[in-house]
Amino acid sequence: MPESEKSAKQDPIIQLIVFRLGEEEYGIRIEQVKEVTITPEIARMPKTPPFVKGIANLRGDIIAVIDLEERFRLRSAGQEMPAVSYTMAIEAKEYTIGIMVREVPQPLSIAQSIIEKAPEFIQDINIHDKYIEGIAKIDSRIIVVLDMLKLLTPSEIMQLQPKGESSPAGSRTQA
Amino acid sequence: MKSREQEYREIFMSEALEYYDAMSRHISELERSPTDESALNELFRLMHNLKSNARAMGYTPIGEVAHHMETIFGLIRDKEKAFTGSVVPVLFKGIDTIGEMVRAVGANEDLPDVVHLTANLDRLVQGEEPILEPETTDDEDATRKLELSDLVYIQVKKLDHLMNLVGELIIDRDRVLTLSQEIGNPALIAAAAHLSRIADELQYSVMDARLVGVGSLFSKFPRVVRDVAMAEKKDVELTMTGEDIQIDRNILQIITDALLHLVRNAIGHGLETPAERVAAGKPAQGHLLLSAQTERDDVLVQVRDDGRGINVESVRRKAVERGLVAANVAATLDDNAVRAFLFEPGFSMAKEVTEISGRGVGLDVVKLAIDSLGGQLRVDSVLGQGTTFTLVLPTSIAVKGALLFQLDQRNYAIPLMHTDSVVSLLPENFNVVGGMLLTRIQDENVPVVSLRRLLHNGDGPLPPAVRTDLEGRQDIIIVNYNNRRLGLIVDRFLRQQDIVVKPMSKPLDTIDLFGGVTLLGSGQVCLVLDVPALTRLFLAKRP
Repeated sequence: MPESEKSAKQDPIIQLIVFRLGEEEYGIRIEQVKEVTITPEIARMPKTPPFVKGIANLRGDIIAVIDLEERFRLRSAGQEMPAVSYTMAIEAKEYTIGIMVREVPQPLSIAQSIIEKAPEFIQDINIHDKYIEGIAKIDSRIIVVLDMLKLLTPSEIMQLQPKGESSPAGSRTQA
Repeated sequence: MKSREQEYREIFMSEALEYYDAMSRHISELERSPTDESALNELFRLMHNLKSNARAMGYTPIGEVAHHMETIFGLIRDKEKAFTGSVVPVLFKGIDTIGEMVRAVGANEDLPDVVHLTANLDRLVQGEEPILEPETTDDEDATRKLELSDLVYIQVKKLDHLMNLVGELIIDRDRVLTLSQEIGNPALIAAAAHLSRIADELQYSVMDARLVGVGSLFSKFPRVVRDVAMAEKKDVELTMTGEDIQIDRNILQIITDALLHLVRNAIGHGLETPAERVAAGKPAQGHLLLSAQTERDDVLVQVRDDGRGINVESVRRKAVERGLVAANVAATLDDNAVRAFLFEPGFSMAKEVTEISGRGVGLDVVKLAIDSLGGQLRVDSVLGQGTTFTLVLPTSIAVKGALLFQLDQRNYAIPLMHTDSVVSLLPENFNVVGGMLLTRIQDENVPVVSLRRLLHNGDGPLPPAVRTDLEGRQDIIIVNYNNRRLGLIVDRFLRQQDIVVKPMSKPLDTIDLFGGVTLLGSGQVCLVLDVPALTRLFLAKRP
């Protein structure tokens, strides 16, 4: 097998959508992003954790919008979300969910091979390493590549469901 | 609108023509391979169904022919006869005759004479030779018509999709209407008004297409009642009324299990054995009534028995034992409030309750099914005289009447089905009892809570209410669930409106406080509160 073909096969180019949370840069695979839009009007939903900003009308679909800076406690004091923010609609397994970010997310193509498995130092930040597919180093930039499908499973989001809810889903189905 | 009678006839016609087509097909297959078992089984089944349908509709001659044909196909299937020789033309003639008869019904003509045919069929059954008429095929082929049915079968899934699309359309219609008012262009206003009328009509047509008679569910009960009564050694007479009442097919589907449950309960626990009944001075035969009627926009389905009734005192005692209510409070509750405990999850599961009160196996399941539709479940009972369960159901799932209100500059909706009334009260109309606000509405003390506090209070119990929290006139919505009334203080009433409720999207659908969302004409998202969940939350969090 010719060398060039072999390396192309082993090292496919992947496209990321890169966005900023706090001071760090994060990336998601482009195929997990349905669209990016200016954050629509959000209706706050009572009895949800604070990082669930509420629900919004995205072209007739009602989706939940979450704020990952708040979720991962990456926001330094006095750095509120700007009045105009952006929302990435992410297609999780069974639903679409919006992720609010402060700047327009940018596409970026990188070779798969430069994504390294998450090293130990990642424990320092508040992101559980199982969501992290790896770390990409490009020149002086470090991009944390997230696996959104793991981050946005219902159990992940529902761990945050307030305790002592009027009637948790579980007790309904038991009956 | 067509009469029921007419509609049933059309359904019969379309099914019968379909059977006829299938019979023609299968008998041709049989002619090619006379021992084809699947064709024989199909023919037997089709004849049987046609026989039952025709007899139910009162077309006895069709039923007779189908009955004779069924007998012969049964004999062939059991290998007591063969599909050969003179049997073949008689059976072909029989199927052709069935086709003629069905067409005659459709055209409102007299049915053709079938004496000769049935005589021949009888001869076949008795093993005699049929008397064949001279063939007149030329004539028949010339007059034979190909028919397509006037009815189409459609998957409920497709209707659901249509209904969802119409729901979206209604939301957009409201949006366009609002925009046209804001822009103020006369031509646009006229076009929007026209669009609005068409969308309305479309909505009602789609809703109408989804309606079925309650009878299509009721008709399954005579058999159920018979079987359960046999098993329980009860003597039960079932009466059904209101089979013609129309209701959305999916609603009927959802209440199927609930109704089955109530009927089983009524026979198993409500009605006494014949001996007990006689001893109590009642007729030995128990009576069960299954009825449907319309009330305003709702459909009421009732299951009524004349059995032993619910012993309120033992329910009251049990509720206290289970810790659902304090003993001193329980003593003050009226009968209706006590009976409401029957629907509490877990309450009914205790076996001893069933034995003492004679009621309550899994009534909470019934309750949840009705709640999921936004309906109401009521129970009335007189000890020793019987029990009535009433299901108050919406006619259609898609559109709900709702009251819109504002809280913290946000719009919310609350279904009218669970709304008793709205009042505006000054602070002096309230009392504080045990940290709970109370007000008197129609001679009843109703607890009142600030909806803001209830929704945004976090996990702990509500802080005790104080009257000084109230400033000026308070807008209050009185909701009613399971015979419990609760006042919710909101910022401002907006208006009453028909809304299309979209289910809450995942993963937020586990938060049951909201039955869904709707989009207002302004494009704003509006949360729809779920009164049952809200009431449960209040009971769990009250100070």
